[in-house]
Amino acid sequence: MTGHEDEGAAVRTRRLEERLIAAGLASDEEIDGFLTRLYANASPVNGALMAARAWTDPAYRELLLADGNAAATEAGFALALSGPGGFQLRVVANSDQVHNVIVCTLCSCYPVSLLGPSPGWYKSFAYRSRTVREPRAVLAEFGVRLPDSTQISVWDSTSEARYMVLPSRPAGTGALGADELAALVTRNGLIGTALV
Amino acid sequence: MSYPAGTRVRVRSGDPDHHTRVPRYLRGHTGEIVAVLGRWPLPDDRARGIVPPRVEPCYAVRFAAADLWGSGDHTVTVDLWESYLDRS
Amino acid sequence: MSRVHDMGGQTGFGPVPTGPGEEPPFAADWEARVYALAAVLRQRGLFNSDELRNAIERLPPEEYLGASYYERWLGALEMLAAEKGVP
Repeated sequence: MTGHEDEGAAVRTRRLEERLIAAGLASDEEIDGFLTRLYANASPVNGALMAARAWTDPAYRELLLADGNAAATEAGFALALSGPGGFQLRVVANSDQVHNVIVCTLCSCYPVSLLGPSPGWYKSFAYRSRTVREPRAVLAEFGVRLPDSTQISVWDSTSEARYMVLPSRPAGTGALGADELAALVTRNGLIGTALV
Repeated sequence: MSYPAGTRVRVRSGDPDHHTRVPRYLRGHTGEIVAVLGRWPLPDDRARGIVPPRVEPCYAVRFAAADLWGSGDHTVTVDLWESYLDRS
Repeated sequence: MSRVHDMGGQTGFGPVPTGPGEEPPFAADWEARVYALAAVLRQRGLFNSDELRNAIERLPPEEYLGASYYERWLGALEMLAAEKGVP
């Protein structure tokens, strides 16, 4: 995308905003307010904290896998970025036998409130088209190589549900505290394109 | 809920002339319901402004890569509304 | 309706742009404003999320494939504004 095209999009955006504001359908305050809340609240630290807690608290792990929404509430995280509602959170656990990876082939569905805004690669045509068909090759491009004995489970997010991976707890972390454990859980680990 | 987890279902063939949430790569394929998700409004209706939209059970359905692509040892699990499916 | 957005399993899109490192969520201010505008309008009830997805999918294929992610959202918002009769 050239600078000229970018300028075009910026101008188009401002023109659209002005039309909508003039029509009483939006306001700068609402737009700015949404972004302020987004930057303040939506972060992969949220998902990381939930995952790390599941590593140390078997009851929380059970809740996280059975009722992701209740687990998010328990951890103090709202799932909706604004307004009522929000998605159904489904958390899928990695193990020695199964490695999970999340994609949205039709658009870009993603648990923004728990992972922050999605990365560009998640929204790319290459990721959207290839992950359901050749996940092992896609993971290799992220530097992830799994044993042949590990089955890959791909989740294509087509509904109100949003998916997050519970990574396997790394070996040798028994002495780490909650914050140190959470720091090990990367955003890509919560999508399934990294091991933690 | 109409179908319990474990039910084998086949994704209906035929491409509708409106917005839907069935990926083309699933059409005609058979999978197994691994989770019953909830009763949610049908995106096909909401996208067309049909009020009220049909509300249907939505299921997480698992497909074998070998069935979808002819190769691969992975599975693909996709959320599908009931009217996208027939019992297999 | 299976338009060009329905790309699961399609080939030819090349390597995943995993990138050298972390990029900001929005490459330019207008991208953030488009994202926020969509959320605000959805909350105000001008359209629902399925209408938004449908609008993105209804962009002409060349535009869908040639535009950046937020350019697609911008095109969809312009389409919906017109269809919903925003002056």
